[in-house]
Amino acid sequence: MITRKQSLDLVIQRLGSLALELGKPALLNADESTHLFGDAAHLDSIGLVTLIADLEQDIFNQFGKRVTLADEKAMSRLTSPFRRVGLLADYMVEVVNKV
Amino acid sequence: MSSWILKRFQKFDSQPALAGPWGVTTYAQLLALTRKAQADLQALNLSEPTVIAILGEHGPAVVAWLLALESAGHFAVPLAGNAQEFPAKLSQVSAQWLVTAEGAEWKIYPRIDSSSRHEIFQKLARQKEAGLVLFSSGTSGSPKAMVQNFTQLLKTYENRRANRLPILALLGCDHIGGINTLLSSLAAGALLVVPENRSVDSVIKAIRNHSVVVLPATPTFLNLLLLSGVVHLPSLRLITYGTEPMPESLLHRLHKAFPVVRFVQTFGTSETGILHTSSPDPDSPYLKIDDDNVVWKVVEGELWLKSKTQVEGYINATNEKFTSDGWFRTGDKVENGPDGTIRILGRIGELINVGGEKVMPTEIESIILGVSGVIDCRVYGEKNVIVGQAVVAEVVAQPDVDLDALKSSIRSACRAVLSAYKVPTRINFVSDISCERLKKRRG
Repeated sequence: MITRKQSLDLVIQRLGSLALELGKPALLNADESTHLFGDAAHLDSIGLVTLIADLEQDIFNQFGKRVTLADEKAMSRLTSPFRRVGLLADYMVEVVNKV
Repeated sequence: MSSWILKRFQKFDSQPALAGPWGVTTYAQLLALTRKAQADLQALNLSEPTVIAILGEHGPAVVAWLLALESAGHFAVPLAGNAQEFPAKLSQVSAQWLVTAEGAEWKIYPRIDSSSRHEIFQKLARQKEAGLVLFSSGTSGSPKAMVQNFTQLLKTYENRRANRLPILALLGCDHIGGINTLLSSLAAGALLVVPENRSVDSVIKAIRNHSVVVLPATPTFLNLLLLSGVVHLPSLRLITYGTEPMPESLLHRLHKAFPVVRFVQTFGTSETGILHTSSPDPDSPYLKIDDDNVVWKVVEGELWLKSKTQVEGYINATNEKFTSDGWFRTGDKVENGPDGTIRILGRIGELINVGGEKVMPTEIESIILGVSGVIDCRVYGEKNVIVGQAVVAEVVAQPDVDLDALKSSIRSACRAVLSAYKVPTRINFVSDISCERLKKRRG
């Protein structure tokens, strides 16, 4: 099981380490409402793919579960889970706890 | 040479030709700029056809110089995008002059390099024809410089019918797709709209500001457009897509999001130019090549093409992708469909296609191997729902190395010298790069 708080912490922590790598200092202070992809977003497509790949690895390392966060199901949702930090954290709880 | 297109500019007169961050340029202004570039070129007193690089994104200055160089029979090398890759490309073609272009402005710089007397340039010079040099990913990892007969290429646009529908320039002028959009638009008297950059946001802004009707795009870009959630673009009527396979599910989602837009698949290679194609119906993944300039066949699942706008050859590579009787082996895996159609399945071999940008694993491997703490590595493509294929690196690390820190230094090392799309998005640490796994992957 992963809690909502653990999920959110994981995303924020990962954005913090990607902030320097990707040259996006704004991501050092990310929170629930930080935009990831779409309008006023911080990440480009490669940045988003990198974040997702890292989070999948983090979930495996910390919770021992292999999950795929970006798939057809995620892409066809009416509200994309990749739009904001909070939405991604919600989505991770849903996906991880299903496995 | 290009006098027909300049005559057309005169006729189109006050119609808008180009719009972008610099403002709007009319055909009359574009004609004046081309004349000015021709005069500047003449002032250089070049005694023979010369290799001249144009550095900059789509805009009036780039267009003026492309046409000026073509009309005077020189060899144009348009370079756009990642400036880190410019020095290597300039040396490969031995460019003698640089024109840096921004909006409607330009500056000219001499460049000290041995004058290139490559036989392809000599041949074109003898024929009094101009050259256009474009780069594609080479099998060795370094970009391959291809020379097109610019005079012939431009001629193929002469019979375009006039149409004034605004079209968006998503691909750069250093890409055959970008050159094709540019020349078709100019020959037809249309408005070419250049976004500030290629992000979804900028493109949406450009489409809205200039009521763009035609959007040539890649499946990856269209996927990102849907992902961004902004789909109300009422001016759009036609979206063309190419350079990578289109997943059926994505095409289906696009139809739902843009019910009044027609979707047309395009196909082309840097080596053969963009082909005229049609689809049996809008939802079909199949396409039919109906181009008088092209013949094609499928050999062992690979598409072979022979085209009138075929490249003259490579500057820095052998012509191994061409057969002795002039067929170009595209490296694209296809299957035959009904009624003489084909379907593009992907690439044969190891080339990774990230959102339409081609990546050679060896280029990335050589950088990762230079990172301290890395013993061995292997780079390959992995199916990805956002960008089609993503770059993955398997790395054998030295014992006692902090893996998270190593991951970060591998990406930083790649980012320092490579375009962002080439940087591995996923890095897996493994104990060895086994032959077994290699076989499985390549099989």
